[in-house]
Order: sequence, then C-alpha cells, then structure tokens
Amino acid sequence: MTDSYTRFANGGFKPLVKKLGLPQPAILRRHQAGSPLTVGPVLVVSDDASASDADAVTKVLTGWDIDVRRSPELAEREKFGAVVLVLSAVEHPEDVSGAALALGGTLRGLAGNGRVVTLSRAPETGDAPTLAAARAGVEGFVRSLGKELRGGSTANGVQLTGGAAVDSISVIATLRFFLSAKSAYVDGQILPVGPCDGPGEIDWDRPLAGRVAVVTGAARGIGAAIARTMARDGAKVVVVDVPPAGEALSAVANSVHGVALQLDVTAADAADKILAAAKPLGGLDILVHNAGITRDKLLANMKADRWDSVIAVNLASQLRINARLLEAGVEGLRIVSLASTSGIAGNKGQTNYAYSKAGVIGHTAATAPLVAATGGTANAVAPGFIETEMTARIPFATRSVARMLPSLAQGGEPVDIAEAICFLASDAAAGINGRTLRVCGQHMVGK
Amino acid sequence: MTAVVGADEVRSAPRAGAPSSYTVTDLGVVPPLGGLYVKGAMGSVTKRPRAGVVLPRVVYRVADVDTTGVAAHLADYQGVVGEPVSDVLPAGFLHVLTFPLATAVMVRPDFPLGLLGMVHLRNTARVFRPVGVGDRLEIRAWAEHARAHRRGVQVDLVAEAFAGGVPVYRGVSTYLAKGFSVRDGASTPSEWAGPDRAASEGALPGREVPDGAMPDRAADGAGRPASRAPWVPPLPTARWRLPRSIGPEYGAVSGDRNPIHMSALGAKAFGFPRAIAHGMYTAARALAEVGPARRGDAYEWTAEFFKPVLLPGSVDVAIRYASDAGAGAAPAVGPEGGFVYDAWRAGRTTRHLTGTVTPL
Amino acid sequence: MASSIPTTREAVIIGGNRIPFARAGKKYVRTSNQDMFTAALEGLVARFGLQGELLGEVVGGAVLKNSRDFNLIRESVLGSSLAPATPAYDLQQACGTGLEAAIAVTNKIKLGQIESAVAGGTDTISDAPIAVGDKLRRALLQANHARSTGDRIKALLPVLGHPKWLAPETPDTGEPRTGLSMGEHQAITTAKWGITREAQDEIALRSHQNLYRAWEEGFFDDLVTPFRGLSRDDNLRGDTSAEKLAKLKPVFGRGLTGDDGAPLPATMTAGNSTPLTDGASAVLFGSRDWAEERNLPVLAKFVDAETAGVDFVHGHEGLLMAPAAAVPRLLARHGLTLEDIDFFEIHEAFAATVLTTLAAWEDEDYCRDELGLPGAFGKVDRSRLNVNGSSLAAGHPFAATGGRIVATAAKLVHAKAAETGKPARALISVCAAGGLGVTALVESA
Repeated sequence: MTDSYTRFANGGFKPLVKKLGLPQPAILRRHQAGSPLTVGPVLVVSDDASASDADAVTKVLTGWDIDVRRSPELAEREKFGAVVLVLSAVEHPEDVSGAALALGGTLRGLAGNGRVVTLSRAPETGDAPTLAAARAGVEGFVRSLGKELRGGSTANGVQLTGGAAVDSISVIATLRFFLSAKSAYVDGQILPVGPCDGPGEIDWDRPLAGRVAVVTGAARGIGAAIARTMARDGAKVVVVDVPPAGEALSAVANSVHGVALQLDVTAADAADKILAAAKPLGGLDILVHNAGITRDKLLANMKADRWDSVIAVNLASQLRINARLLEAGVEGLRIVSLASTSGIAGNKGQTNYAYSKAGVIGHTAATAPLVAATGGTANAVAPGFIETEMTARIPFATRSVARMLPSLAQGGEPVDIAEAICFLASDAAAGINGRTLRVCGQHMVGK
Repeated sequence: MTAVVGADEVRSAPRAGAPSSYTVTDLGVVPPLGGLYVKGAMGSVTKRPRAGVVLPRVVYRVADVDTTGVAAHLADYQGVVGEPVSDVLPAGFLHVLTFPLATAVMVRPDFPLGLLGMVHLRNTARVFRPVGVGDRLEIRAWAEHARAHRRGVQVDLVAEAFAGGVPVYRGVSTYLAKGFSVRDGASTPSEWAGPDRAASEGALPGREVPDGAMPDRAADGAGRPASRAPWVPPLPTARWRLPRSIGPEYGAVSGDRNPIHMSALGAKAFGFPRAIAHGMYTAARALAEVGPARRGDAYEWTAEFFKPVLLPGSVDVAIRYASDAGAGAAPAVGPEGGFVYDAWRAGRTTRHLTGTVTPL
Repeated sequence: MASSIPTTREAVIIGGNRIPFARAGKKYVRTSNQDMFTAALEGLVARFGLQGELLGEVVGGAVLKNSRDFNLIRESVLGSSLAPATPAYDLQQACGTGLEAAIAVTNKIKLGQIESAVAGGTDTISDAPIAVGDKLRRALLQANHARSTGDRIKALLPVLGHPKWLAPETPDTGEPRTGLSMGEHQAITTAKWGITREAQDEIALRSHQNLYRAWEEGFFDDLVTPFRGLSRDDNLRGDTSAEKLAKLKPVFGRGLTGDDGAPLPATMTAGNSTPLTDGASAVLFGSRDWAEERNLPVLAKFVDAETAGVDFVHGHEGLLMAPAAAVPRLLARHGLTLEDIDFFEIHEAFAATVLTTLAAWEDEDYCRDELGLPGAFGKVDRSRLNVNGSSLAAGHPFAATGGRIVATAAKLVHAKAAETGKPARALISVCAAGGLGVTALVESA
C-alpha cells in the first residue's frame, strides 16, 4: 500500500530527491510475527533523579530479550534501534539538559525506523510551578524531536499519571507499543498512562486471546484491518456493517473466523443486536466504534441531510450504543472509538465531520469514568491521512499534499490504526482511559 | 411356412373378419409402397368419378411376415411419434406395417376409386394382444362397406394381423373418394358385415360423433350437411409445435411419401397452401402421449380427421380421461376408463382431429 | 393422528442466508450457479461463524444445470469456508428442490445420522445451460466413439447437410410432456377456477407491498447477504399500485375458449406472474444439542413435510395444484386445521396459483372428490398469507425459493412466539413443475 511517491523517493531516485530537498518519506517498518521488537539495541538514558526508574525500565526491557545499553558507545556500524529517555523523577527543568543532550548525541547513531520514547510524569493539579514546568516541558520536547527525526524514526512519550510506577503493567505495555513496529505511524504523541491492576502475565503475541470484540464499519478499509488485527491478536470478532455492505463484510468475517452482523449502527436496537451477536461467542468484551461517514461541504452550502447523517452515524450512534451497553450492565468493557485529526485541528469542508469527531473525543473522556467502575476503559484513536478506499477518492493533488504534511511525509495504512486500537483494547492498556491517541505520522496541524 | 414369391395368387377360403363372399389372394411378401404409389397414381387417371361403385371382393394376404428385422425401423418410428423405445409394436406401427397391403388392394385395376385425392376420414385400430419384434405375423387387407358420403363415396380399408393364428390387430381406415357415388345413394350392405360392426368401427365408441363441426367435413353415414352449433374446443392439456420437417420425417418411417406431406411445393400442387402433417402422425402422437402404461396391452385407438394441420404449425391438444371429457359411456372414472383426445389450431377453434384411446 | 408419527428428535432451523434475487439477464450475468450458491454459503458461514466447521451435510440443487455442474453443491462446499471434509450432494425436484433438500437433511438430523446441515438451492437463467439438439448431439457422440478418422468424418458428415442441427436448444419453462409453458398451464387452471384478473393483481400488489415493508423494517438484514453490488431483490417494486398492475397486458391464457364457445379472458400478466430470476439460498439446520452447544440461535423446529403429485398431463388437475392435495394430509397427520396456522407461506409461482389453491380448499365438491375429505378443507385467513411477501415480488430462482421461504417462516414464527409467548406455526407450500407439490410445517422452537 506504500504510495507511489514513497516508492519513487526510495528507489533509484533517492539521491536526486535528497539533493532537491524534496520530502523523504521512509518505508515504515510494520509488525510481523516473529520479528524483533526493535531494529537494534536499546539505549536507556535518564536524568540523575530518574536513575532508579531507568534501572527498573532496563530490567523490564532485558526481560524481553532486548540488547539494552546504559552508555551511548556503539561498535562500528552498529546503530541503536531505540533510545528510552527516562525523566520520571525529574523535578527541575534545569535537570533535564544532561539526559536530553545525551540523547541528542546518539541520534546520528539511531537506525532507520528507530524509536525515541520518553517516560515522564504528567503535570498534576497542585504541582509546584517548577515541577509542573519540568514535567510539561517533555511534551514540547517530544513533539519537536518527532519533527527532527528522519528515516521513519519516531518520538513518542509515555506520560505517567496518578502515581503510576514506571514498571507498572500499562506503562511498560505503552512503552513496548511505542518501541515496536506496531506504532509505525504514531509520531510526536504523548500518551498519559495511569496505574492499573492489570494482569500479571501478559501474552504479548496474543494480547486479546479469549476476548470477544465487535468492530463496526468493518466491511472494508480501517474497520476490516481492525478486525484482522484483532483476530491476529487472538480475539473472536463480530464484524458489523450496514446491510448493503454485507458481501464484503462476510468475506472479512470468514477471513478472520468471525461472525458477520449486518446492522445499521443508527438503528434503535443496535446495541441489543450487538450484544446478541457477541453472546454465542462468550459475551462482549471489546467494542470498536469504527463506523463513520463523511459528507463534506462548506458550511455555507451544507444541507440538513449532510449534517444530520454524519452526526447520526459518527456520534449519536456511539452515544446510544454506549448508553444501552452501560444500562445492560456489560462489565469490563473496552470501548475504542474512531476520532479524527479533523476533529482536533479542523478541516475545511468538514464542519459536520469535525464536529462529530471532536464530539467523539469529548464523549470518550466523559465515558471513561462510567466504564471504569466495572474495570472498563473508553479511549479513542484519531487517524490522520490513511490510505483507504475513502481517501483514494480525494482528488490527486489534495491527496498528495495531505500525504506530505506529516513528519513521516506519507499517509498511514489501515493497519496502523488497527494496531493502536488493539493495543488500547488489550488488558495491558487498562491504565489508559478517556484518552485519544493520534495515529497521524505527526500531522503538522493541531495538537 | 413357404412364402410364395412374386405376384402368384393362391386362392383359398376367406377367414376371420372379411365378408364371406371374398376370396383370399396370397402375396408372398408385402409389396413395396413406392411401386404401389406409381401404380396408384397412374391408375387414378383412368378411375373417373362415376356412379355405382363396386368393390373387389378380394382379401390380400401375406402369410408370414417376419418382424425380426423391423427393430431399427421401429426405433425410428418411435422416435418420430414420441413413443418410448420398446420392442412392442404400437398400433400406429402395425398400421404402417399393414398399410402397403391395403394400398395394394386400392391400386388394383378393379378397385373403382382413384388413389390420388382420396381423403382419410377416420381410423380405428385395435390391438388385441401385444406384438413384439420377432413375432411372425399373417396379415390381411381388403376393402369393404362402400357407402354414401355427402361429397362422394367412403370406403373402409380393413387390415388384420394374426400371430400363431390368433388375431392380434385389426385396423379400419375410412377414406373418402370425392365425386363418386354408390348405387341408389345407399351403402352396400352386401359387401359389408353388418350394422353392429358399424357401431363399433365407423363411429367413435361411447360418444356422439360431432357431425357438423366442420363445414366441409364429411357428415357421417348419410352425408347430412353441417347444421349444429360450432364445435367448442375444451381447455388444452398440451401444445404441439410441429416443424416443417415432421412431414418428411413421418413420411420416412411410415412410407407414406405423399407429396402433400413432403414439401410446400408438393402440397401446392394439390391445392394446399403449405405442406400438411400426416393425419396418422398426429393420431399416433396422441396415442404415444397416452403411453403404453395407461393404454395397456390391448386397446382401441380411434381417430377422426377434420381440417389438416399446416406445417409448420402449433396445435392445441386436449388429451383427457374419457370420464373427464364428458363421454357418457366411459367404462371407468379416471385413466382406467380410457382417453379422449382433441386437437385444434392453437388459440383458435379450427379442429384438426379427435379420437380415443381405450384399454380393452 | 399424531401417534402415527414415529418419535424422533427435533431438527431445528438456526438461520438462513440468501443472496438478493436478480431479474434474469441483469446483475448476475456471467455468474454461475456455483458462484451464487458459494456466495449464499459464505454469507451463512459468516453469519454463524462456521469457518472451518465440519457440517453433517450440505444438500441442494439447481433446476437448470450445466453438465459440468454434476456435483454442484459439493463443488460449492469446496469453494466455501466450511471444512472441506463436509459431505454434500445434489438433489433436484424442480421448484421444490430447496424445500425437498430441507426435508432430506432434517430427516437425517431427526434420525440422528447427522447433527448439522445446510439445505438450499440455486438457479440462474442468465447462465443457463445451452445444449445442442439431439441430432447434432448424436452425431458428435458417434464421432467421439469412432475409432478411425474416417469413421469420425463419416459420423459428422450429416451435420454439414443440416445446418439447422447447429441451432442450440435453450431451456424454457415448458413441461416436457405437454409442450405448454408453466404460465399456460396455470392459465388453464385459472380459467377452470374462474379466478379474476383483479384478484390476481391484488395478490401481486400485496406481495410487493409486504416484501417492501419487510425490507424497510430490516427483516432481511440477517437473512440476505448482498452479492455483486445488489443488496435488495431487484424485482421488488415498492411503488407499484393496482392501477399500474391493471395496465399490463396479459401474457398467458390467450386463445382459451369457454364452455359456451366464447373466448375466455386472459388474466395473467407479467405483473401477477413470477419473473425469471437468478439467485441462491441456504438454510442452517441442526439438532437442538448441536445448536445449543454452539450457542447458536434456535428459530424454529422443522416439524414435518408432505409431498404430492397430480396428473396434469391429461388435464384432470392443474399443473401447480399438487400442494392443495399435500397440505390436508400434512395437517391431518398433526391433528391441525388451517385455523391452527399462524403464517401461510404459499409460493407465488403465479398469483393465480395461490388463488386456485385457496379456492380448491374452500370448494366442497373438490375437497370431497379429489382430496377425499368429508367437506371443504377450509378458508385461509388472508392476513396470515405471505405476510412478508413472496415470489411475485422477490422473484423465483427455482431451486432457491425453498430456502428463502424456510428461513423467512422460521424467523416469523420465532418472532411471533416471542411476542405472544405461545407456539406459532407456519405452513410452507411450494408447487413445482411436473405436477409436484412440496409442503412443510414449521413451528416455533
């Protein structure tokens, strides 16, 4: 699915592209079963105050059979696969420079598709101004570093909240996700992670084993990729799409050993149909609100049917289904909704769509405490420009520009969204709740 | 049995159904139809219409017809008329086998009616016992019962077959010779077996013959003109789509290669707009559609012909239980009581034929 | 009466799937029976998560088959996501094929020979077989059997002389024994029973209205999987009206004459006759244990079935009247009457077929003389008849119709029983070429 420019810029014309100063999108490394977590050894650096946390992180990484280094020296031709910057105990902004600059010194030794992951604490209400500055600064650092990295490398940050330990389950799961190829198109993102009583043992190969997942809008594109990735991770999947999409839907169902449910998510009884379909498989564990439509028009030209249908499918259906599931007493439910960078940064011609997607981000945050009561979570993933049948319909010029805007200088693939969703749906991600994770290759616009 | 070859005639006493005044002439073999036709056509020229028709009092007999060799011919016949493949000879095939002998009678110089232009009005056939391939048959044919028809003279050509001396088949074909007349406008009882036979052969058993159905159709017997209400077709049970080729095809299996059946050109020569289907083909097809299982081993099959079927053409057909067709004297309700069939021009009321198939 | 039925275990209907039915020559052009039945199977597999499942048997058929399709159902299974070890066989009973397949598999389930099965059928007019005529076929076979090139040429020589032999034979709906099309046959029965044009058009209108309503209500959301860009039956006309139907010209029954010699009106139009259609359907059956072990829904029990034949060849009975004889026998076996039936699913080969069947059951003489009943069999409550439409609106891909109806009936009785808390019953009646009738009784489980 790599776009033709990316293929061109990586082929025989690579030197020319470089000389002309054209964008240089890299071919991103994506997850393959059995391949190593990172492309090379992982360096762990920290400020002095965070040294013991860095030790704990090192221990975790070593447990994953990773070649972990604590000093930046490399053998000849050797490159780091990732650098983990532990700032979890930093208290003064002045204390960061040593670790930050040490990291900087290793960047020329960072392999393509390398990773920089920071571990820091979120500023909390009541923090002293100095502490708040020290913690908040990490976000700007990560976002800027993301824009500096080349060759498909990314910078992301795990932001500990609520006193979560650096080696608590959700923190290390998030660290692992950012280190891995599963986060190929996640760049420049800070993800807050809280404490959790997650499972002691995690099957990293099949993190969704035994779970029953329902994916809406699953007949094609991102939804189909989510279903396939869920199934790969061990989930039993019910794929949902509108009846007219049934042919493609049943093909997806059969390819993932799942069940097809032809259902318009805006139907009043949609939640009950979803519960009924999940029941024979063992009951609903994971719900992915992926179904969505666009009906783009400048607001001045917007007709009611365009506005209303987008709100009905993208937002109202999710609210109605969530409410009904809560009412039905579904426990431990993991909800992951599809937001959009349009909902964050806005997009011309998409007032309706952006309203719906910003609304998703809003209701996700609000739903989080409601589902947390029974051990569930509600999170969202905000895709940027993803190469799908839907975006293939965008005019060529617009599409080409859209691809070049992110730091990774290319569009993402449906599987990139799917990986993020599967991560958020896993039990190990129990400490992440109410959050929206952007999967956008660090799109220039917005937060 | 020694077959007497050639045209040597051996005189002996008449047997079975022929009138007692008739004498039997043995032919060694069944004569080939082709030659008979030539003879018949030639003879027709001299046989001018006249009053006072007198039939030759002769029975032609072939004492030993070996049917062993008819298997391929039978299969062809069965294929054309729609009979299932079987080694049992259907009544229609027995008609075909005996037809040349009857024709031989008709082409005799002393047979008063011309072969050309004779119209087949009716046919009644009875199979008393099944005849199989390989059976050796004695066959006989003669003409009898010349009688008045409003458009000429009608005469019965009778053919009988025996196996081991036991009658197995009897066919009566009634022909009309236009323009001829019998003496005094009456039938010729002296040459005819009697009224009881007429009841079972001349008319259709168990039902009234609709005399006036066709304007130019022969009114039975006394030649009454058409006078009653027009014939009303029943609801059809089938439709036959008869291609042009059915004329030559039945001509090939029956030997009846009358030009009116073979091509439009031949038919035009005799005043028909197109080739016409053999009446016996349509009747044989009706017989076939009742089928061996329902007509049984012994059965009677009758046909009465009205307007010819022009080829190609579609024919609406009703083949019904006699009890459903309102035939008063059906021996039993349902298929056991036999069948009545009617055929008419598809979607119209032009009647082609009617008849019965009745288990005996 | 019920005691005469041997005690066996139940066979239950779990659900069904079909592809939308398409008018001949439209959406499914270049789509084979195998393509369509495989699609119907795949949708069923997807609906119930049967990927890799080893089913007891898959049974179905097609009325119009190409010679390569001798093992059509098995080939479809091999092309599906079911376990390749799932056995299958083809069965054919004209338009009764689909329902007869259901009878066949449920009998095996009831006897304990199998635990699960799929029954269904498929038919295409758009990819119908075209055969060479008998004469050409014989010549080709003879040439094929010939030992030398000379013999081969000799066998083929007659073909040169008869270019007409090369004309292909296309299948039609004509009865082999009578040469009349099914429509002509029904027109004769229609005339016999004096069924009016208005009554037929009303049946057709209700079929379209009911099917349209059912689609709009989402009734078919879990019964149909779209195929080749078609997501609804394309014969369905939700906007048809009595006026529109009344404008159509009669196509069957012209040239019939009444007893009085007057021409009978032709009443059967393209609107009140089923169009030629392509499609496929499949229904999942199982023993109750099998379904419950897999937490699969149990919609209904496939209780019993009865088939009948009539002698239409000699006009004693109408070609499509056999169900009229089968149903009284079926209901009598269970001590039931027409009043005990909540849903009548009477296949609409023609609107008139439904009406002549109903008229026959209301006719005292007919029921006595032909069905051997003491009097009239009874009256069908029209509000229970084909409540979600039938073949006039949906179309009728011959062998696929049985599966369509069984799944619909099962869903209807299931919903009715859930709503009322009482058992609900559906009677299925399918007429078929050759004077055949296939009927079945379905009851909420």
